[in-house]
Amino acid sequence: MTPSSNGALQAQLQTLRTTYATRLPEKIARLREICRAALEAEADENEIALTHEARDKAHRLSHNLAGSGATYGYAALGSIARRLELALLECGGEDRIDARQATRLRALFEELENELARIASGANGKTETVPAPRVLAAVPPQDAVAGNDSWRRALQDNSHDDHDNRLIFLASTDAELGKEVAQQIGYFGYDVRSFALDETSASIEQLCRALIRDEPAALLISESLCREEAPSQNKDFHHGVLDLARRVREMRRGSTSPTLPIVFMSYCTDMKTRLEAVRAGGTAYFTHPIEIAEVIDKLDALTAQEIPEPYRVLIVDDEPELSDFFSLTLGEAGLSTRVVNDPLQIITALNDYRPDLILMDVYMPTCSGLELATALRQQEDYVGIPIVFLSAETDVAKQMAAIGTGGDDFLTKPIRPDHLVASVRARAQRSRAVRSFMVRDSLTGLLNHTTTKEQIEIEISRAVRTKTPLSLVMLDIDHFKSVNDTHGHLAGDRVIKNLSRLLQQRLRKTDIIGRYGGEEFAVLLPDTGAETAQRVIDEIRRGFSHIHHGAVVGEFYVTFSAGIASFPECSNAALLSGAADKALYEAKRAGRDRVVISSTMCVEA
Amino acid sequence: MLQRILMVEDEPDIQEVAQLALEAVGGFTVKICSSGHEALEAAPDFAPDLILLDVMMSEMDGPTTLEHLRRLPSCVQTPVVFMTAKVQAHEVARYQEMGALEVISKPFDPMTLSDQVRGVWMRYSDGHSAA
Repeated sequence: MTPSSNGALQAQLQTLRTTYATRLPEKIARLREICRAALEAEADENEIALTHEARDKAHRLSHNLAGSGATYGYAALGSIARRLELALLECGGEDRIDARQATRLRALFEELENELARIASGANGKTETVPAPRVLAAVPPQDAVAGNDSWRRALQDNSHDDHDNRLIFLASTDAELGKEVAQQIGYFGYDVRSFALDETSASIEQLCRALIRDEPAALLISESLCREEAPSQNKDFHHGVLDLARRVREMRRGSTSPTLPIVFMSYCTDMKTRLEAVRAGGTAYFTHPIEIAEVIDKLDALTAQEIPEPYRVLIVDDEPELSDFFSLTLGEAGLSTRVVNDPLQIITALNDYRPDLILMDVYMPTCSGLELATALRQQEDYVGIPIVFLSAETDVAKQMAAIGTGGDDFLTKPIRPDHLVASVRARAQRSRAVRSFMVRDSLTGLLNHTTTKEQIEIEISRAVRTKTPLSLVMLDIDHFKSVNDTHGHLAGDRVIKNLSRLLQQRLRKTDIIGRYGGEEFAVLLPDTGAETAQRVIDEIRRGFSHIHHGAVVGEFYVTFSAGIASFPECSNAALLSGAADKALYEAKRAGRDRVVISSTMCVEA
Repeated sequence: MLQRILMVEDEPDIQEVAQLALEAVGGFTVKICSSGHEALEAAPDFAPDLILLDVMMSEMDGPTTLEHLRRLPSCVQTPVVFMTAKVQAHEVARYQEMGALEVISKPFDPMTLSDQVRGVWMRYSDGHSAA
């Protein structure tokens, strides 16, 4: 396409977009009118009249918005409309809807109107390509209230508890066992509701009804599923339990909420039973005696509602139209992208953006993708990052040559969007997982010692650059050796995991947590001064001291001591670490179970 | 060679932008029909090389339109591509069983719709060396 005809096309597209935008308010007003009964109903009104004809009309309207939004550059609006479309579908075929459905519709309409207002105010200049993150991770700009870091910290704080669904259902045939499991899981911040399964179909029905009503984050089923060894000879009941799992999946189908995870806990270790559990839709399977920490890990993974940080893809292509298309496609699929149209700028982009994967065009005017890849791979830092080539080249030999220079995959243009997304996502995911192994401690998932030390350097540089405070906390568990001696190493491990989990729950996404040594942890709090850091860590100290580290022989409690040092009082990494260590030592000497701010004068010798 | 495209789509928004995308970007000769019935009337005379068919239309839906199109002697073999909201793999299979070549998902990017259509055509003509 020639530049001039492209210009004309863009102008025409822009005209269409503007026209589309002017029609939006009217469309949404019409939608609103159709759904008025639902939107104006009282919060607890349960039988709201909304004929299925009206719902069909609304469905068609929202389908239109969903199907055209992104095409016209209003991706966010389109995706809200898609959710509205699905919510309307979920209302079923009757002529009324209930309170819950009405509430969902109301919420979606609010989002729709907000987005419309945003568009009207001119905020939407360009097509969005990055999904809006749920968690506020960026440091706010300098012109925020200067100097008052605790205010800024409070602004950035996101309490995990508000977002995660902590309700768990536990269905069990063995009352005693069920009670014990429920109690242990409860210590980790879950709200466990127990259901007794007494071999009647009535008990299963009751569970089903409660599932629909209360929507727990997960369902645990503790039952002896073995055909041969089942305590009860009631085969029908055994089938009933597996059937329950299947029914639960059926119930959730078509609804916008994700499938309910089902965790089986059983005495059976045989493969046949495990397969049956899988077929019934089981997400996890644990055998008695249950290792509670494993179950908690699984529940944490299943119930976390935070969207994991999107995979980052760096797109290197000299054609802006094409790179924009890839950006849009990947963005719609939930990945974050950055575009580099001049391949020579790639290093800056790599350092700033730290992508999980590079999507690279092969034929570019300044240099070929192959040359670029070769040059990159010669640098140690970039040996591992996946590179996916894109080209109209269909010659297999040439494709193989490209892979030989350091590419990981070769995709041919034109490419179907879903194919692009699938290839990119799979590789980005694996790249991130591999990198995780290299930098994380395997027991706790926190950063390992080396990476933690690196992070201290990185954070100091950033603090210097952005002129913001930074606090380093060195944390050490009190009398850890005697925990191991008295209760065993497994118990000691559990204590370490519990502290790790607590730190992750209570700190922000932007705080950096590392396992520095056996029982020693380091926490970096960007944009935080010493006093604020002390308050935060002290709260965690108090919380930790109350945790029952339930062991086989009696419960026990553990405390920790901590020392804090800050930038700019300490002007470099060495001074910072040294001062924090010294403060930790002071805390131990003064009696342990406390948090001490460094009093060291951090002056360069 | 792919030159003439018949698009069956009942929403004016999509019609406008798709026509622009296919004509200006792809250089195709495009005819838009607002319903299945219109398409059945227009197809024999227009003699499209490929048909883009929206799935969800108010009067006659995509699959039904396809069924009727296949009964027209001139359209028995014409490649048909469905257009619909993001679909899962098993749904694509279902559409293909009905007789569609492939599925293009909505919302589409106007800048690359022609590329997508051309891609479908290339894969189709690979399988039919007579094309």
